[in-house]
Amino acid sequence: MNMLEIDDLHVTVDGKEILKGITLSIPAGEVHAIMGPNGSGKSTLSYTLAGRDGYEVTGGHMYYNGEDLGALLPEQRAAKGVFLALQYPVEIPGVATLTFLKTALNAQRRARGETELDALRTLKLVRQKATALNINEDMLRRPLNAGFSGGEKKRLEILQMALFEPKLAILDETDSGLDIDALKLVAEGVNALRAPSRAMLVITHYQRLLSYIVPDRVHVLAKGRIVKSGGADLALELEESGYERVVEVA
Amino acid sequence: MSALALKTHPPGMFELDFARHAASLPGAGLAWLDARRRVAIAAFGKTGLPTRRVEAWKYTDLANALEGDLEPVSHFGGAVDIANVFGSKPVDEVVLAHGLVRHIEVSGGLEVADLGLLDEKSPAWIRDNLGMLAASADQPLGAASLALMRGGVAVRVQGAQTLHLQFSNPALGHGAVSNSRVLIVVEQGASLRLLESHSGEPGRQRLANLGVELVLNANAKLEHIRLQSDDANALHVTTIGASLARDAEYRALFAAMGARLSRVDMNLKLASEGARATLHNIAVLNGGIADITTVMDHAAPHTTSRQLFKSVVGGDGRAVTQGRVAVRKGAVKSDSHQLFKALLLSPRAEADAKPELEIFADDVVCGHGTAIGALDADALFYLRARGIPEREAKGLLIRAFLAETMEGFADEAVQDALAARIDESLASLEQSES
Repeated sequence: MNMLEIDDLHVTVDGKEILKGITLSIPAGEVHAIMGPNGSGKSTLSYTLAGRDGYEVTGGHMYYNGEDLGALLPEQRAAKGVFLALQYPVEIPGVATLTFLKTALNAQRRARGETELDALRTLKLVRQKATALNINEDMLRRPLNAGFSGGEKKRLEILQMALFEPKLAILDETDSGLDIDALKLVAEGVNALRAPSRAMLVITHYQRLLSYIVPDRVHVLAKGRIVKSGGADLALELEESGYERVVEVA
Repeated sequence: MSALALKTHPPGMFELDFARHAASLPGAGLAWLDARRRVAIAAFGKTGLPTRRVEAWKYTDLANALEGDLEPVSHFGGAVDIANVFGSKPVDEVVLAHGLVRHIEVSGGLEVADLGLLDEKSPAWIRDNLGMLAASADQPLGAASLALMRGGVAVRVQGAQTLHLQFSNPALGHGAVSNSRVLIVVEQGASLRLLESHSGEPGRQRLANLGVELVLNANAKLEHIRLQSDDANALHVTTIGASLARDAEYRALFAAMGARLSRVDMNLKLASEGARATLHNIAVLNGGIADITTVMDHAAPHTTSRQLFKSVVGGDGRAVTQGRVAVRKGAVKSDSHQLFKALLLSPRAEADAKPELEIFADDVVCGHGTAIGALDADALFYLRARGIPEREAKGLLIRAFLAETMEGFADEAVQDALAARIDESLASLEQSES
């Protein structure tokens, strides 16, 4: 059984159809990349998988481990192991980062019927995962994402991924706004989480990220449809010839 | 004495009370007090009970909220529930029931007098101050609270002190109105942390009408934490008049979480150079009206005022925030800022915000801002996508919205106690929304 099975998915936002029949399967252990030009529906796909309000599924299905994702609330999807790293992580002044991490971690544990972690154990766990991502105590004490640099925000997304240990991770343009050093650090963090039991969907505009996170499959999304699929080489091909050509040929 | 124009009930209830009972009010016969009461009832009479036609009350129609005759409370002998709303019990405490002193427990450093027991032996500092603030025609309910004062408390502060004023409003079998006063005089260089709480039991309609005078002498400091969690059916009006002498500092955190209609009506005068005032207000309401209306009167150079009002409104509640900053001629280098924010949690919730500036001096810095909106959908999705259930996520965002208003006030115990009360209030708010 595939970890994620998307079948002829149609999605409408504000009355406009953005996804027009997407079919895609990702088995556990694989990393798939979705590439596409601006406006192709990449972010719509990620928000729909995570369950954001306003992204209406008007046709088709999304199955996660055989379960209909569309029937679950965003928080239920998270507790079951679906994680979305956002392109633009939200700033929330007034909520300390560590408090947020503890609240989210325990909410997921509670939903799964696991015991909650106390403050000390949470802190230990967070510290242990944070070091590898070069996230210090000071950052954890600051309000969530408030005043964080682009790189800090993305590292914090990856820290959450490491902390929550999802089964399906969706990374939405995690490379945007990162310089090469930050990109490498984030990619290392992601690669460390590759595992036979975990599937990943990496959404990106540029090939650059895929030099560091090498995918098993690459899919090209254009105008709400997957127009081409291939191996890791397809990303390089796109980089050389550009989206326009690939989309035309398809 | 000229004949008072007695209006029909309820608009004439204060005038009628005065006409009938002036001679038996506390301190009656003291010439200075009789005179001030007469001036006050005349000041009140200029508007009477305010309707929306009175500009300063245009969002809060008190006269129409009254359901009928309210009987003045001049005596209360029933049980009073004493709850430590601010966490640990402060050493010095005054308990009042329906504005009447029930119990005074103070150690050295504080002089405390029961305003229900004024006589010719009452000290000069009361005579010099009582009724000089919060009793003009601009603050008609404050004027009524002086004219009809049945009780209350006067406090004189030397050294560094903490005092808890605990107002309790137990159930009564009839519609009732209480008129009471608080006078706080902080002597030169002295400081007070004033904790003020208002709680109430359900019952017939009740109007708690309180007038508060805050006199800060040179270099005095007053930190004022106020929690109003009166019964959900009560009407609650507090008129505050404050005067700050040279280099005096007033810092206040008010929270309104109860009453069907509540109003804080403050006039604060920065009377001398270097005076500074900070006022933070929190309103959490699920219905009814919470109104805070202020005047920051910059009457001297180098004076500073800061106001931050945050309201969380659910159901068909309405938060009213009106702030006028007046900079008088010659009050150069005045520095003021006011920021009003409201979070509307239901389609029927409403917030009215009216900042005003009147500037008659050069070289001043006056800023203001207003923001009214719903919870941020991006933030809510972010938290939910991380596994935090919707209700918990909303609670987290609301607490985050309010957090900055509480920073730096009192100690951890007081802050925690206040945060716990806010959480209780939010819990009922969220439940009624879902």
